Amino acid sequence: MIAFENVGLRYGHGPEILKDLTFAISPGSFHFLTGPSGSGKTSLLRLLLLSLKPTRGSVSMFGEDVSALDRDRLLQMRRHIGIVFQEFRLLDHLTTFENVALPFRVRGQAEPSYRSNVEELLDWVGLGDRMDAHPAVLSGGEKQRAAIARAVIAKPDILLADEPTGNVDPELSERLLHLFEQLNRMGTTIILATHEVNLLDKFDYPRMLLNDGELTIHE
Amino acid sequence: MSEGLKLRFPRPNPIVPAHSVAGRTLMLLIGIMTFLSCVTFGGVLLVQKSAMGWSADVGRELTIQIRPLDGEVIESNLRLAVSLSEAVPGVASARVLTIAESEALLEPWLGAGLDLSDLTIPRLVVVQLSDPNAADIARLETDISAIPGASLETHAAWRMQLNTMAGTIVISGILVLGLILVATALAIVFATRGTMSTNREIVDVLHFIGASNRFIAGEFQGRFLLLGLKGGLAGGLAAVIFFIFAGTAMSTVVPQQSSAQLGVLFGQFALGISGLLGIVGVVLVIAGLTAITSRLTVRRFLTQIS
Repeated sequence: MIAFENVGLRYGHGPEILKDLTFAISPGSFHFLTGPSGSGKTSLLRLLLLSLKPTRGSVSMFGEDVSALDRDRLLQMRRHIGIVFQEFRLLDHLTTFENVALPFRVRGQAEPSYRSNVEELLDWVGLGDRMDAHPAVLSGGEKQRAAIARAVIAKPDILLADEPTGNVDPELSERLLHLFEQLNRMGTTIILATHEVNLLDKFDYPRMLLNDGELTIHE
Repeated sequence: MSEGLKLRFPRPNPIVPAHSVAGRTLMLLIGIMTFLSCVTFGGVLLVQKSAMGWSADVGRELTIQIRPLDGEVIESNLRLAVSLSEAVPGVASARVLTIAESEALLEPWLGAGLDLSDLTIPRLVVVQLSDPNAADIARLETDISAIPGASLETHAAWRMQLNTMAGTIVISGILVLGLILVATALAIVFATRGTMSTNREIVDVLHFIGASNRFIAGEFQGRFLLLGLKGGLAGGLAAVIFFIFAGTAMSTVVPQQSSAQLGVLFGQFALGISGLLGIVGVVLVIAGLTAITSRLTVRRFLTQIS
């Protein structure tokens, strides 16, 4: 599903942030992406999200070399990838329902066609009674569940999560990890960036360890 | 749509919140620019209409001037000029201006109570043309030249000067209009860039969830089009009120005699249907310019950050 070969990345004329990354991610897998701060986790996630192009090497996703894709095809491919951020990045002027429904709106779908899907998913993540609430009145855990719901509502093949438990307490972190596990069991490929050692110890999934831009995978 | 359906699916909040666009300032700016554009347009239109009307009036009239010469009976020469004129194709009528009428013409320059019998001033014959294009002016000129001391004044030099002046004003007005539109477009570019920067978070989120640049540009363009229409309507309305006020002021504040003279010189201070349609056109152009400029700026911004 995802294949990196000798991928390197640098910003402008600066030093290389990612060096010679070569790895493959198979469909339906769950990987932790870990490493110290500044090791390049977010840059690797941005490459996976197709919002950055590598300086060298080749990136292949869904069997296509992404460097050869035009803007429209890249956009189509990006719609198969969901993303969850540490700082939630919900739009404050929209309700929980509207935030989660956003992927459908940008695809030009009318509300009647997706309303029941959104309601069902919000029930599933435990926000059924918070649909009309705005992010300002949601707790950290509720915001992150809404962000996860937004990332998966359009049934992406890949879900990327950048420190999704960074702003919630340890108990909620664990509950969120169980939510990611359930999504993974339903077939979504998950790459979750975290540097929380206790989570890595509790959940036994392969770890992609980035250190100073170099990657090692611990199965 | 039924009431029940409306309640079940209320209109979702806009993706770009109204308050996030620097609306009030931009709307005021667009309103002022529209007002200036409409006043310039209206002014140019009034000048053009007056010039055309005046030129047409002057063009329908010729003047034969007969200087008194020793040994010549001026009254018989005047009668001859009238009969020669009336014989020329395209001439509707010709008549001799009486002494009293000549006095009235000279009164503004020489003062009232003038006795022309003391002066040897030329006498005038006014020739009205039925069709200025069909009139044989060359033949009239030749015929009149046979009368001692007679000359024909076609007012061509006046008309040319008038047309040149009107043309200069029209071109200047068009230039001013163009500059106002360019200034408006530049102001919209700056306002749009500012708006995009302050809404960067929304743009990023939309990108992450798979929104196309076209979709994002459309969301912002809708806001700017609305602002352009509101500002344009306000400016256009203000311009219409200005012309109504100016027209009313001319007929009430200015003394009636002066008002009539101003009317002769500048035409009626009323835009008419064509003027109102022109103002509507200016409003639509400004609204369209706002929408197109903001869309191009947004697309450029999105291309740069993609």
